[in-house]
Amino acid sequence: MRISTNQFQILGVNAILDQQAKVSKTQLQLSTGRRLLQPSDDPVAATRVLSLTEALTQGEQFQKNIIYAESRLGITEGKIDGVINLLQRVREMALQANSGFLSTTDRDNISQEIRERAAELLGLANSTNVNGEYIFAGFQGQTQPFSQTAAGTFNYAGDEGQRFLQISENRQIAVTESGTDVFRQIRNGNGTFTTNYNTANSGSGVIDPGSVNGSFISDTYTITFSQPTPTSPITYGVTGATSGVVVAPGTAYVDGADILFNGVRTNVTGTPANGDSFTVVPSTNQDMFTTVENFVSALAIGTTTSNGAAASNNQINRVIIDLDRALDNVVKTQARVGARQNAIANQKSLNDEQILDTREVLSDTQDLDIAEAASRLSRQLVSLQAAQQVFIKVQNLSLFNFLS
Amino acid sequence: MSDSLSIAVSGLIAARQSLSTVSHNIANSTREGYSRQRVELGTRPPELTGAGYFGTGVLSQDITRVYNQFLVNNVRDGTTSFNQFDTFFDFAAQIDNILADPQVGVVPVLDDFFDAVQAVADDPTSVAARTALLGEAGSMISRFDFIYQRLTDIGQSINTEIKSVTTEINGIASAIGNLNKQMLLAGNNGKQANDLLDQRDLLVQDLSKLVAVRTFEQADGSLDVFVGNGQPLVVGPLSQVLTTVNSADDPTRLEIAFVQGNTPIEISSLLSGGKIGGLLDYRNQLLEPAINGLGRVAIGLADSFNDQHKLGQDLNGSLGTSFFKVASPQVLVNANNTGTATIAASIVNVDDLTNSDYALTYNGGNAYTLTRLSDNTTTAISTGGASPFVTQEIDGFSLTITGTAGAVVGDRYLIQPTRAGARDISALITDPEDIAAAAPIRTVNTFANIGDGVISAGTVNSPNNQVTITFTAPAVFDVVDNTTGATLATGLAYGGGPQNVSFNGWTVTLNGAPNAGDTFSIDQVVTTLGSGNGGSGTISAATVSAAGSDPDLRDPVTITFNNPPTTYTVTGSTTGSPTAGITYTAGQPISFNGWTVDISGTPAVGDTFTIGPNTNGVSDNRNALILAGLQNTRTLGNGTASYSDTYGELVANVGTRTRQAEINTESQRVLLNQAITAREAVSGVNLDEEAANLLKFQQLFQANAQVIAVANSLFQEIIAAVRG
Repeated sequence: MRISTNQFQILGVNAILDQQAKVSKTQLQLSTGRRLLQPSDDPVAATRVLSLTEALTQGEQFQKNIIYAESRLGITEGKIDGVINLLQRVREMALQANSGFLSTTDRDNISQEIRERAAELLGLANSTNVNGEYIFAGFQGQTQPFSQTAAGTFNYAGDEGQRFLQISENRQIAVTESGTDVFRQIRNGNGTFTTNYNTANSGSGVIDPGSVNGSFISDTYTITFSQPTPTSPITYGVTGATSGVVVAPGTAYVDGADILFNGVRTNVTGTPANGDSFTVVPSTNQDMFTTVENFVSALAIGTTTSNGAAASNNQINRVIIDLDRALDNVVKTQARVGARQNAIANQKSLNDEQILDTREVLSDTQDLDIAEAASRLSRQLVSLQAAQQVFIKVQNLSLFNFLS
Repeated sequence: MSDSLSIAVSGLIAARQSLSTVSHNIANSTREGYSRQRVELGTRPPELTGAGYFGTGVLSQDITRVYNQFLVNNVRDGTTSFNQFDTFFDFAAQIDNILADPQVGVVPVLDDFFDAVQAVADDPTSVAARTALLGEAGSMISRFDFIYQRLTDIGQSINTEIKSVTTEINGIASAIGNLNKQMLLAGNNGKQANDLLDQRDLLVQDLSKLVAVRTFEQADGSLDVFVGNGQPLVVGPLSQVLTTVNSADDPTRLEIAFVQGNTPIEISSLLSGGKIGGLLDYRNQLLEPAINGLGRVAIGLADSFNDQHKLGQDLNGSLGTSFFKVASPQVLVNANNTGTATIAASIVNVDDLTNSDYALTYNGGNAYTLTRLSDNTTTAISTGGASPFVTQEIDGFSLTITGTAGAVVGDRYLIQPTRAGARDISALITDPEDIAAAAPIRTVNTFANIGDGVISAGTVNSPNNQVTITFTAPAVFDVVDNTTGATLATGLAYGGGPQNVSFNGWTVTLNGAPNAGDTFSIDQVVTTLGSGNGGSGTISAATVSAAGSDPDLRDPVTITFNNPPTTYTVTGSTTGSPTAGITYTAGQPISFNGWTVDISGTPAVGDTFTIGPNTNGVSDNRNALILAGLQNTRTLGNGTASYSDTYGELVANVGTRTRQAEINTESQRVLLNQAITAREAVSGVNLDEEAANLLKFQQLFQANAQVIAVANSLFQEIIAAVRG
């Protein structure tokens, strides 16, 4: 084939230019450390880089959220620990107060301490975090949740709202507990029913908080004692407000013996007087402030008379079982918080792993294999040199050189 | 003897002419488009004598260029294709780099924005976190705008380029015309003006760099050049002038026009190949879809974020308002329209939007045709004589056509649903307290409850939920929210219509006579009739309340359990039905007033649960969590793609097109080089060959000179003999 001298030169120059373009690309890759210089180098990888980068930023954000969650749960846990210690102390005092060997002064001293504990408990329930948000107020973090009214009852201004944080793409975890859940939503009595004495009682009968015997039929029951004359035997009967008579009147009373009806097992100790009565009613929610307050009012009852001692005993018995329920509730909350802390710790390491994996894939996708690129560069430089040398050699050959 | 003298002289002349042609070749060897020439030698007419025919020497018959039209055409075609792809690639690489650049693209700011939303969810009372969110929203908005500006700047440079290329085409066309004139003046003497032909071929080749042309050589030697589908650019000595005009469809686009009489006629769509072809392809296939695609991401993000933001409650306890301003579709009235109908477009469902533009043409009567320009799919629209007439949703938007009476057949409108999306997105929320991180409702499990029923925190129904209205009898219908699974109402009475029905913040009007079993659905606020409907019932388009949620959303509602607690009664202003004696099923969604809750466990007689406003709910982050979740929700592309997926699709599309263009450019370069090599193989000058020819003709000259010397000596012999 004929080749024109012009073409011969263009071919040579093109060969050099091609090699230079390759060298320049490798040089750019080496100087940026990136395999992909522009999306069109590998459109699929470029899109992948976008989504991997997004996953990475999100993963890092989840770790930030986790730090928040840890701190929130940490604060809650600390406060709940405080509540548990406090309730245990109050319970010890209640047991002490119920022992019956205490002087009025001792009872006053206990009362003094309980009042302080009550204030402390209210303080714990109104705890704030570093931002000044009330941590047990539900969604209303800027409203003080608990307060005591002039009438002595306790008011909750918060709600049951619970804040969740996103700790992975598809996992949210609760980081707060509402005041209702921790302090208020506590079933009183044994959790199913409560036993109460009638303040008008004149005997020394003390009723046991009781337990569920089979299945409790929800109703308000009255246990009424009867002893028409001081010498006649003490008998009792039980009537339900809707159930009617469940234990026939005239049933003989035995001190400490089980009284059983409609799922209730309880007993009365001491000597109830004629006309004394006790009620068994379904449990309702009772906040722990009221429970502690009930303790204070029990301590105020004079114990010099037998019926006064019985009233005090009856009330403190209620306080103890209510405190048990409250403790139970708080310990459950503590367990929930602890479980979440564990879950978060696990998620944190999972996220870390995922971030690491994503980084690796990202690096594989967009980063340059330096060793490969370096050897490619030296190969390309050799080719470039060859192209240049060939050009010079070939250009020097011309028939005109031999014409003279 | 005089014979050999004259023969030798003819040889000398031939040798000299050949030598000068060789010199011409050598002198022009590096000139582009030069075809080597050679002298065609012939023998002079022989002389008849008694002894027979005697040769009378040599004659230069013609000077021809070594030339092959086929190979020249190949080079021309190759030049056209190569320049088309090369131009496309050059410009494509520009957007390619902008869109996916980790510092410049949208994805990094999108990530930062959603990280800031999460930070608000982490700490909803923190004004610092809220302010940071507004800052990130601002950065995201300006990034959208920045990229939009960069892309439209490229559009501007395309216009400039089109203008200069058109000028260049005109220049070359007039040069070809001039050459034609020169050749006509030189007269048709049967000889080729080789150098003029080369020059003209070169001009045609230069022209084919700019646009694909077809040529036709006339018998008189002049060359006619045509572009497009037969628009004459050069006819004989005359050249036509191309000009640029603003597109009648879209004045931001410059189009090439062919001036006929005094009227410029747009011929851009007819042109292909060369730089012009590359520029137009790039603008139509890559640049404009990319701007639209970017706008689609911005509109999709702004609209769906707004929808959810409106379902929240801000730090001051007010319902959330729109967070972003969403760009409206652009409707451009064709400059040549003579009718007076007005067209407005509005976005109905961002989920269905595409990257395409649409053309609306009036066909007369009540009929319009809407054409999706990306694939020329057409939709027939009939206004039925109504004005204004609102169309059903088409690809996520609807049109309002007003004043069809004044329309003139052929009127055109260009509808660009997403073009301005990235430019017109802006922040409507400026006060950090207005960020709606909380949910507007909260639920309370009444303290005095005896039972162990638990009420969920509740969610706000979005007007975008999928709701079905089913007629159980011709005058009775049920309403079910398929998104939450809650029954919104059962046994509602239908009075024969028109009757307004409102749930979840929208209102629709039912009309006509539906049959039992007929269904109507509202999905993403788009209403449709059930496919198997037998009755004549119709449903109007849905209108959404200004608040974007049920107007009664925050009215206090109490759910009270009856005796026995297997049923419950709902009191408070309610949009649901029935409200009394509803059978309780644990865990089943309950929906009234635009919220949905569920109650589980075993409530006791008289237990109550309340749903009411989230007053003082400053620490609530429920809506912020949902807003943050939008980052991974498949909101766009008919529920198939998240925001970043949609953007990624754009990057991938541009990347792939750029890559294709690069590959095409490379392969066209190889083809072009092959064509040039083939042409050069025939027409190019080889200096070694010319050197050899130089020697050959030098020898020819010397030999002929020798013959003259011999003739001379013979002559001297005779003179001497005569003297002798």
